Amino acid sequence: MSETIRFNFPAPVIDDSVNRLRREVRAFLHEEIRRGSFRPVTDCWCSGIDPDFSRKLGQRGWLGVTWPKQYGGQELSALHRYVITEELLVAGAPVHAHWIADRQSGPLILATGTEEMKRTLLPRIAAGECFVALGLSEPESGSDLASVRTRAHKVQGGWQITGTKLWSSGAQICQYMTVLARTSERDDKNRHEGLTQFLVPLDSPGVSVRGIRDMSGVEHFNESHFEKVFVPENAVLGSVGGGWKQITSELALERSGPERLLSTFVVLEKAFLQAAGSMAGHQAAVMGAMVARIRALRAMSLGVAALLEQGQYPEVEASLVKDLGTRFEQDIVERLREFWPIQLKQSYGDEFHYLLADSLLRQPSFTLRGGTNEVLKGIIARGMGLR
Amino acid sequence: MGFEMEQTDQLIMDTAHRLFADHCSAGVVNSAEMGTEPTKLMQAILEAGLPLAWVPEEAGGVGGSLALGFNLIRQAAGFALAAPLAETLVANRVLADSKLAVDESWAVLVSDGGALPMLTDGKVTGLVENAPMPPGVARLVAPVSDQGAVRIAVFAPDSAEIEHRESLAGEPRARVHWKEALPLQLSSALDDMSEDGLRQFCALVRACQIAGAMEKMNELTVTYVKERQQFGRALGKFQAIQHMVADIAGESALANAAVEQAVRELSAHPRPFGDSADSLLSIATAKVVASEAAGTVSRLAHQCHGAMGFSYEYPLQQYSRRIWSWREEYGSEFYWSERIGLAVAEELQSSAPGQTEGRVWDIVSR
Ligand SMILES: Cc1cc2nc3c(=O)[nH]c(=O)nc-3n(C[C@H](O)[C@H](O)[C@H](O)COP(=O)(O)OP(=O)(O)OC[C@H]3O[C@@H](n4cnc5c(N)ncnc54)[C@H](O)[C@@H]3O)c2cc1C
Repeated sequence: MSETIRFNFPAPVIDDSVNRLRREVRAFLHEEIRRGSFRPVTDCWCSGIDPDFSRKLGQRGWLGVTWPKQYGGQELSALHRYVITEELLVAGAPVHAHWIADRQSGPLILATGTEEMKRTLLPRIAAGECFVALGLSEPESGSDLASVRTRAHKVQGGWQITGTKLWSSGAQICQYMTVLARTSERDDKNRHEGLTQFLVPLDSPGVSVRGIRDMSGVEHFNESHFEKVFVPENAVLGSVGGGWKQITSELALERSGPERLLSTFVVLEKAFLQAAGSMAGHQAAVMGAMVARIRALRAMSLGVAALLEQGQYPEVEASLVKDLGTRFEQDIVERLREFWPIQLKQSYGDEFHYLLADSLLRQPSFTLRGGTNEVLKGIIARGMGLR
Repeated sequence: MGFEMEQTDQLIMDTAHRLFADHCSAGVVNSAEMGTEPTKLMQAILEAGLPLAWVPEEAGGVGGSLALGFNLIRQAAGFALAAPLAETLVANRVLADSKLAVDESWAVLVSDGGALPMLTDGKVTGLVENAPMPPGVARLVAPVSDQGAVRIAVFAPDSAEIEHRESLAGEPRARVHWKEALPLQLSSALDDMSEDGLRQFCALVRACQIAGAMEKMNELTVTYVKERQQFGRALGKFQAIQHMVADIAGESALANAAVEQAVRELSAHPRPFGDSADSLLSIATAKVVASEAAGTVSRLAHQCHGAMGFSYEYPLQQYSRRIWSWREEYGSEFYWSERIGLAVAEELQSSAPGQTEGRVWDIVSR
């Protein structure tokens, strides 16, 4: 007798304080847009860099909200953070500078960092003054992350790191990078052993960061070289040799957030404004279907947030959200083309055309970054006992 | 899980599960389609009182929540239940909400989401193209329009011209034609029911059934690809198969999440057959997503099963044929997505100038 396969997406408990926070953030963003403090961009969490704007959010207490107060946080729930990020995404706000640090590096430091790191760095991250890049991928290591070649050798008083990290988003404006490196020889039977994460200041001697232009025309990701870079003992995040387990649980956190379904929402919003006056028939059906899918995806994503809040580790559910959500973000652009052809580069036309063209030029990355959809499907299949 | 149920509800769910497992095997489902009435199943369902789950206690029912009933409906769909449990649940709830008597026989709501038959001078005239019409049904429960207001009329089956048909899955359907027929019972005009509210409720029932059937298709597929060997290994070891299974799981999970969200939304409203803007959005979402998923899931599940899934004896086809008909009933994904598109546009059009910015998100996140 086979077991029923039912994935669980419980309703999150959204109390008044969550709704109030949502309204506050929304009102703030409308005011900022009205004052022209930023121009809405598509895929803003990966393309809109504006350290001043990040600092503004920090000043309002909207970064690191789930962290303990002693480290600059607000001790709010994951759902509070969820609604803040949602509102920022749909407004197309320039949030890339702090995104990784707020989502990922901060929680990693909180879980594995030294007391000193927590006391000195977390309040700065929460203030929107300190940004952290992710140093996982390398020229020879993408999906097969355990094959990284960056090597850290034990030296007097610390570690010496040598290697190359590739595709690190936003590293050009970051003060730190979390670097995954090998700390002992690779053992083909235990490929996941011997990996360690380090928090490396990017102004250390021996570090060089070079921007890489992407197909949408901006330099947002980077190649970083580490040439015999010294870091002290206390730069180790977590345990020496235990880096693999850390990054896999980190990745689960990053998989199911609203940025996995809302990267192109801003263009859908504008499309509705364009079409509202003449909405009918086929166009209403095509655009209505997108609203339906977003609502359903959002129910799933919020369900994973609720599970995380309950202290569960919903790896398969999170992978389902990211696989479905990122494909849908791409679909939005393809479906809108039917009514608004996209032919010219971003800058030739009005704001709506800018967003359409930029969305099209950026969307190939959605199903790659943070673990490709093929890798995610492997995780889902394993969850169902096929691997 | 997902539907917030009470503890006593779990007992009812367990009873129902045992009952379905005992009396509704794949063989029973196939023979029912071939004309052998599943009398044991039908009797056991009535004896267990399942069709009264949504009837308030004071009207002789169980007084169960909306969540309980939708959970039963989803579970029944996972067995391709050869009995009109969902139909009778809905018909009984409609009767109870319109203060008409409920009894322990099978009843169906004679309605297909189209325009309602008209009531004139106490008599009903009208055509319902595609109504559920199981053999042995005792009472036809028909929402009718009395100058725009909804009233509920109860008929015996011989009150109408009935042309019996079968859905793609062999489920009994009929074209029902009333010509100045006198109802056995007639409710007063009902403030808390509307034509669209009824259509929405029935659409959510079908979406929920699709979700339940797709869970079963996922389960059948996973079991099959683990067992079937080709090229010296289980099919499930091939990455191409793994990815198809992952897609089935994703679409099925998405439909379930949308249905659960809609049930929660509807549960927060005192009038399940009334229509509100919020429930429209949630229910339309559920029916769109479930109906879209039905195409994807059936395609992939059949692909994973090879010729075996195409055979009548293997149970997969009972589910794929059901979801193909259910996705059309009470409005397909095309119908409901157009409704959503129009509703969003209408709200934008009626917003004050300068108030449209962020409005679509406001609607989506409501
Ligand atoms: C916009 C963007 C930002 C990024 N930011 C960062 C960052 O900040 N930090 C960082 O470390 N990295 C970052 N990345 C890198 C990202 O994590 C990698 O692109 C990703 O892990 C895939 O690796 P790859 O590009 O080398 O592709 P590959 O691993 O070479 O894969 C190429 C193709 O082969 C498929 N494939 C690979 N292995 C298998 C398999 N076993 N079975 C089936 N198919 C397979 C993949 O799914 C993909 O379709 C970023 C990438 C993008 C696009």
